[in-house]
Amino acid sequence: MSESKVTLKAEGVTKSFGDFTAVNDLSFEAEAGRIFGFLGPNGAGKTTTIRMVVGITVPDEGRVELFGRRISPGVQDRIGYLPEERGLYKKMKVADQLRYFAALKGVNRKEADKRIDFWLDRMNLAEWKEKKTTDLSKGMSQKLQFITTMLHDPDLLILDEPFSGLDPINVEFMKEVIADTKSQDKTIIFSTHMMDTAEKLCDDILLINKSRKVVGGSLREIKESYGKNVVALRCVGGDEVLGDEELVSGVIDHADEQEVFLAKGKDPQELLHKLIGSGARITRFEMIEPSLNDIFIDKVKG
Amino acid sequence: MQKFLAVLKREYKKVVFSWTFLITTFLMPFIASVFVVVPMLIFSIEGESTRIAIADLNGNVESRLRDNLSPTKIAEKAKKAAEESLTDITASQDEKLKRSAEQLGGTFTFVPYEAREKAVDEIRRELSAKVAAGELEAFLIIPKDINSEAKFGYYSRKAGDFVINSTLQDALNEAVRSQRLAEANISEEMLKDLSKKVSFEVKPLTETGDVKEQDSGPWTAFIVAMLIYIVLAIYGQAIMSAIVEEKETRISEVLFSSARPFELMMGKLVGVGLAGLTQLAIWISTVAVLVTFGLVSAAASGFEITLPEISIAMVVYFFIFFLLGYFIYATIYALIGSMVTSMQEGGQFALPPILILLVGLYFCFAVIRDPNSAFAFWVSIAPFFAPIVMPVRIVSDMPPFWQIALAIVLNGAAIVGLTWAAARVYRVGMLMYGKRATIPEVLKWIRQS
Repeated sequence: MSESKVTLKAEGVTKSFGDFTAVNDLSFEAEAGRIFGFLGPNGAGKTTTIRMVVGITVPDEGRVELFGRRISPGVQDRIGYLPEERGLYKKMKVADQLRYFAALKGVNRKEADKRIDFWLDRMNLAEWKEKKTTDLSKGMSQKLQFITTMLHDPDLLILDEPFSGLDPINVEFMKEVIADTKSQDKTIIFSTHMMDTAEKLCDDILLINKSRKVVGGSLREIKESYGKNVVALRCVGGDEVLGDEELVSGVIDHADEQEVFLAKGKDPQELLHKLIGSGARITRFEMIEPSLNDIFIDKVKG
Repeated sequence: MQKFLAVLKREYKKVVFSWTFLITTFLMPFIASVFVVVPMLIFSIEGESTRIAIADLNGNVESRLRDNLSPTKIAEKAKKAAEESLTDITASQDEKLKRSAEQLGGTFTFVPYEAREKAVDEIRRELSAKVAAGELEAFLIIPKDINSEAKFGYYSRKAGDFVINSTLQDALNEAVRSQRLAEANISEEMLKDLSKKVSFEVKPLTETGDVKEQDSGPWTAFIVAMLIYIVLAIYGQAIMSAIVEEKETRISEVLFSSARPFELMMGKLVGVGLAGLTQLAIWISTVAVLVTFGLVSAAASGFEITLPEISIAMVVYFFIFFLLGYFIYATIYALIGSMVTSMQEGGQFALPPILILLVGLYFCFAVIRDPNSAFAFWVSIAPFFAPIVMPVRIVSDMPPFWQIALAIVLNGAAIVGLTWAAARVYRVGMLMYGKRATIPEVLKWIRQS
């Protein structure tokens, strides 16, 4: 990571509510022109962290810096935030709604009108401009909410579960829009608990669980650090070999095959040898990269 | 500041361009005008004349009765009744109804009938036949002996027309009384002189003991109290529902990532407050126009009505105290709105502020009766009550300036304190989903943040 491109920086951020520590000593960095995957199960502290980044709440300890400055109302205007809990004024007209949110982000009326037309057109909502928000379908209001986060041309885009409630066509469409935003050298934070979506989209990740950082960094590097110590196995028998904790650190069962994690420093050849020795019938034995999901489960359980 | 204005604009437009606002704003003056204009129109409608035969067995009451029922006499009485009803607001519904009947009057066409030398039964038969033939609508039988025990039979196809009945009864009463007096050798003039009502004049004194020229009268004060009460109750709850909406729909999450919570809350309070002012201004100017219109038409028909004296200062104070009251109650409702999770829950908490307002409204009755008592002084400067009580006091009897200033300072201080607390609760409460905050929690938020 080249230091110059770092836009968002959190250092030792901690936030507690009473006795409950929602975020504990969390540090991470996000860069421009990359998608930063913020991952973790529900209740891990993702939303609490995001709230501190967008300046809704203040950390008890540590600091969050955006573009080298502490979060302040001035910096807030450069953030586009799509919260997990979507909210729009039901009775307002689509255009009025967008104008209002643009005004709250400090965009002047003329510029806002131009961008509203552009985005409604791009999101295929142009004909809904003068309709009330209640008349929109769930997918459409989702897209409308996305527009509200884009109107002020933010440098940092924070998307909390942006695909929930969208049909596959719109998911693909949204991915295109996100990729396009990324190419404009913006910083994108993508928060989700869907590991496979994150795996396809993110350049960097931060995995948190129970308010603490589990693993973080470039997705490529993380995967490589795990090395090729996972075996995709399809076989009959050999259960006692797989149960050997000296050799195998974990097994994940899929429908008709298994993912076998080798214990540290063990050679896959040894596993193959022992399986054949035990009389198991092997139809597939392949060295694969661990999936993000595997890494997550491994880290959380381990 | 720019964001504050954006919020203010949205909230103002939201209220002012809503159907409820349009309906309440324009319906209220309309209803008021119905009460002013429609009776005037009704009074101007002349009822269909009732054809009546008077069967006077003695022949000495009929002429007096006819005289009493002449259009000029009726108009005279109607005018007197109208004047009385305008100056007296304490009259019961019953009396009011009777008075409007008198104002309406009724006209009669007399059908000659010779009743002397005939028996009562025969008269009734003959006149009933005429009614059946459509020559008459009603007839009145005046017995030979008109002493106090005498019974007067009025037979009518329009027996349900209480206006005609009461007009006729009054006229007959007078006619018979005159006849009885004449028989007792007492002249009408003498009786009038003797039975005149005492003239009872209420003259309000100022502090220095001078007699005040004009008084705004208790009803103006009461209207002022009601107006403030209604508008505060409506707009306080409007604030609460606006805040609960943002919390329920989770819009606050986006809002808080865009602007300071304080800006958001103040924008909302000021925006809705301006909408309230707009409504009040429309109402007050409509009332002013209606009163002027009513005055002109009353003057045209010969009434003398003295208007309550309302000075510019009174109007200015009225708006100042309305604004003080608005910000006190709106911040309370904002605080409640950020505590609760739904409108239903909010409804339960909306009651206590309404009760405080209501107590203030009841205090006004005492203040109207005695605007200079120690009690009136204390409730008219006390926070929560002053915004409704002080304007009433000002209209009833202008208190010394220092008292008004004291009320403004005390209530201004209350607003500062409440806003401070509400902003803190708002900041935390708006992001708390799922469960209602308890009072200890709320107190903690206020202390901590």
